[in-house]
Amino acid sequence: MSSETQQPQPPDDLHTQAGEYVLGTLDESERRSIEARLPYEPALRAAVDEWEQRLLPLTTLAEPVEPGASLWQRIAASIAPASRPRVVPARIRWWLWDSLALWRSLTGAGFAATAVLAAVLVVREASPPTAPRYFVVLAAPQNQSPGWLVQAQTEGRLRLVPLGTNSVPAEKSLQFWTKADGWSAPVSLGLVKPGEAIEVPVDKLPPLQPNQLFELTLEPYGGSPIGRPTGPIQFIGRAVQI
Amino acid sequence: MPPAAALQDDAFDHDAALQACARGDREALRSIYERETRYLLGVALRIVRDRATAEDVLHDAFVSIWERASSFDASRGAGRGWIYSIVRHAALNRVRDSGRETMLDEPATAHLDAQAAFAAWQESGDELARQASLGRLGHCLDSLEPARRACLLHAYVDGCSHSEIAERVKAPLGTVKAWIQRGLRALRECMQ
Repeated sequence: MSSETQQPQPPDDLHTQAGEYVLGTLDESERRSIEARLPYEPALRAAVDEWEQRLLPLTTLAEPVEPGASLWQRIAASIAPASRPRVVPARIRWWLWDSLALWRSLTGAGFAATAVLAAVLVVREASPPTAPRYFVVLAAPQNQSPGWLVQAQTEGRLRLVPLGTNSVPAEKSLQFWTKADGWSAPVSLGLVKPGEAIEVPVDKLPPLQPNQLFELTLEPYGGSPIGRPTGPIQFIGRAVQI
Repeated sequence: MPPAAALQDDAFDHDAALQACARGDREALRSIYERETRYLLGVALRIVRDRATAEDVLHDAFVSIWERASSFDASRGAGRGWIYSIVRHAALNRVRDSGRETMLDEPATAHLDAQAAFAAWQESGDELARQASLGRLGHCLDSLEPARRACLLHAYVDGCSHSEIAERVKAPLGTVKAWIQRGLRALRECMQ
């Protein structure tokens, strides 16, 4: 024991980090970072799997608890085919055209700049070639006008293209987030400046999923101080596979 | 390593049930539910400490198991462990997201905590039964310094954050973090 005390190993070694993830003692941002890395780092994945199996017997220390009679009915209702969530609200379904030019002309012709409160994302999985393609339409709760177009042009990157010139109040920033089903919280994709195209690296994130949520929120200047959305949602929508 | 499910009857094939879920067989999910839900609910309840929340966690976890069954890879670990890990992480995400803070007024005797459960395991007279439940892991935990063991048990079983553990074991936060890391290293070494 004494040699261990004198020469502590680096605290961030892979197996200890994986063990802490499985124990549940990592803080929220560390935890989310591990979850985002898992699909891309086989060594980390293997270390986590080892700890899951190694510690599993400890689940026997929790006394069994009988579930309420309605629990299975709730689960069954949630997995019934008819209850699958609709991937896009009906009122914006007509927007699903894959044309940057069309969106630009629509915006220029049909919408005053100040009325452009919605963003449109057209997202393609660049690779492999057979990967599904997605549309993501982001709309303001009160106004469905298009504002942005996002495309996946190279693997691991999304390109966000403005279709109009909306504005953000001084001392505020527009922040871009995504969250797939099963993630514990949204992940920031960075800050967005009105009227400026940006490229967003997404190679640390799992592949895009159907129904994955995207949103733009109004945050304090420089972005959310706590790593998750704090301000009002300006635009929101979900990935639609086409 | 001895099979984790040694106390369970071994007739149930979790891997096959998950593969059937991946094919859209809802009865297979039902069979997992019938088989495991009382144990899973016990695990979730210890972490979230509220009955209704624990059932919500189970609901979300079973929907997640259903949706992710096709990604289950039996070569990476047994299906039973995969199911438990989904439930545990769903419960942990729930309490971490809700920003639960150390509850200083939480009565210490409000629940049987993980240390007490482990002490009961240590004291149970029957070596066969001990081996069947915690097996090698139990003996490796037994050989850890008690304070380090307590940290690991409170984290895994009781879902405690660093600060909650510090409160329970009456030690500074930095010490608790170091105990956990050293405990994990010692445990891994012991079990190799």
